[in-house]
Amino acid sequence: MSLLDFARGPGMHWALIILLVGIVWRVLGTLFLAAEKDYSAARQSGVWPGIRAILRRFWPHSEFVKPTLFHLVAGYTLHIGLFVVIFLFAPHILWFADLLGLPAWANLPNNLIMLAGALTAASLVAFVLRRMTHPVMRRISGFDDYASNIVTLLPVVTGLLAFAHTPIAPYQTLLGLHLLSVELLFVWIPLSKLAHALFFIPSRFQLGAALGRRGVKV
Amino acid sequence: MTVEAQRIELFFEGIKKLPEMAQPVEMSDADRLHQVKTTFLAKLNRRMAVDLESCVHCGQCAEACHYYNATQDPKYTPIRKVELLKRVYQRELSPTRWLRRLWTRDITLDEVNEWIALVYDSCTECGRCFMVCPMGINIPAMVNVSRQAFANAGLIPVELRAMEQEQYAGNTLFGIGPDQTEAAIREIGDKIGVEVPFNKEKADVLLLTSVVEVMVFTDQIASAIKVLNHLKLNWTLHMDGFEAANFGMLSGFEPLQKRAGDRIVKTAKKIGAKTILVPECGHAFPSLRWDQANEDEQEFPFEVLTMAELMARELRNGNLRVKPIGKGKTVTFHDPCKIGRHSGVFEEPRAMLGALGVEFREAESSKTVNWCCGGGAGVFLLNSAADLRQGAWKIKQAQIDATGAEGVVLSCASCRLNFEKGARNNHWDKPIESLLSLVAENLDE
Repeated sequence: MSLLDFARGPGMHWALIILLVGIVWRVLGTLFLAAEKDYSAARQSGVWPGIRAILRRFWPHSEFVKPTLFHLVAGYTLHIGLFVVIFLFAPHILWFADLLGLPAWANLPNNLIMLAGALTAASLVAFVLRRMTHPVMRRISGFDDYASNIVTLLPVVTGLLAFAHTPIAPYQTLLGLHLLSVELLFVWIPLSKLAHALFFIPSRFQLGAALGRRGVKV
Repeated sequence: MTVEAQRIELFFEGIKKLPEMAQPVEMSDADRLHQVKTTFLAKLNRRMAVDLESCVHCGQCAEACHYYNATQDPKYTPIRKVELLKRVYQRELSPTRWLRRLWTRDITLDEVNEWIALVYDSCTECGRCFMVCPMGINIPAMVNVSRQAFANAGLIPVELRAMEQEQYAGNTLFGIGPDQTEAAIREIGDKIGVEVPFNKEKADVLLLTSVVEVMVFTDQIASAIKVLNHLKLNWTLHMDGFEAANFGMLSGFEPLQKRAGDRIVKTAKKIGAKTILVPECGHAFPSLRWDQANEDEQEFPFEVLTMAELMARELRNGNLRVKPIGKGKTVTFHDPCKIGRHSGVFEEPRAMLGALGVEFREAESSKTVNWCCGGGAGVFLLNSAADLRQGAWKIKQAQIDATGAEGVVLSCASCRLNFEKGARNNHWDKPIESLLSLVAENLDE
């Protein structure tokens, strides 16, 4: 079995199983912890303030735009770039459509995908450098932070190299490495801080709801 | 020096002597570490787990923290203050604990000792950090749990420990208990020509007071009496439950938090109160309004209000009448973190200032993103936090100065103390006034 065959076959198969089982394990393991009932008299229901907080936190309070500008720019570049590359690149769309049994959706032109991939990679590198040099980020960073950054960067870089048919290795090898790096990402998501992609919604909701019932808009 | 200035000086002198009053808590090192860990594990719930799982270590919370902004020292990054709690969660409770143990060190007693200054001296639990966090992580709630863990390990800083031990053992603070409080308030009543309704068997409103008011800001007590009489309410000050200050909450010693709150709750139930009125005291309000029902695991048959809420409501109802001061007076308002950002009381103080007709200057960062005064959550008592408080005060002072207002109005005695201290240290001469006192001085009788 070649590298590409493994990556396309059992590698992807097990990576997807670990991703799905891992997500269920991680989410249920967290949400099944005891939740305390709040006996204090609410000023209002916390449901809508909670939903509002989920949406409102996509953009910082005007007070904090300037001090958090790096995260705002690099963060949105990273997340929008990843979305574009993952969901709007023609071969990826075919892969998802095949996996989920859905009709293929419209793709973006390849040159735009390349641009998005390059910007995503640049923002990930910027985050690593910031983590290594900014006094606050350096102080609070650990293995998971750097590992998650690199594990996210690898599929982007290998994807760009494969797409460009870079002569450093045969295309089949580059494609195999790209798929393996994607599988590593799938395995890493439920085990690491990349699971913030799942937890940011309940996290925002519970702050908005807790303070909303006190009459505070966050 | 005015009488009030003398009282303030005496109070700060008293704070300096607190370390001599604290009793040591004997415990082995192993037991202390065990207490910290077991408290973390007992207190970690779904809410905190979700918060900890969603953190990406971006560090944006530092930008909101007055202590980080004042010092630029990364050790004051808010999320770092709950690092020990996070590590215990990751190693012992997280669904991926079996993996995270590979790269997550166990906590040590040396670290616990280092973190005392981070969860007490350098966090007022003001909540500005949860306003910037893109994940909405409630860091102050976890700092509070860290204080509870440290309290159980006998590691409360000496000043707060002295207060906690005194209130727990004898229901006194700075040696002032029910008898001294009643005598002091009776004297205040005599000065304003009013007989204070002490210890009524039945009353609609139970008014609380705080030791800071009795010792320093007696104007706030006199003003509360005037406002309640103006409103012709059936109220009382009851010596079975009068002290709003809760050093259990501030120190993290939960048995005291519950005991101090229960004294008030039992008294309110006994006299059939429909309303508990919390004086201008920041932490006392959320402690009673939000925490105590959960400590007791029951809903209360009464409401808990700040003076500002009562006054604004009665103003709307037409029962509270004030004489306009006029536009000659320009003021800004400082939102106390625990009453504003934690409790939603923003518009009521502004409604009162509006009724007084003063020229109001809103500060640039106010309401939910207001800068903390730097002395909340008991930090104003900690001698070791003096430099941090001074740094935070500079931010506060600049914020107030930028409004161009001649004076600042506030509704929290701890903030007021911290303002007075900051003003003295920095030769800042703007008037610092209590909202309640400003209203009481201008009642239209």
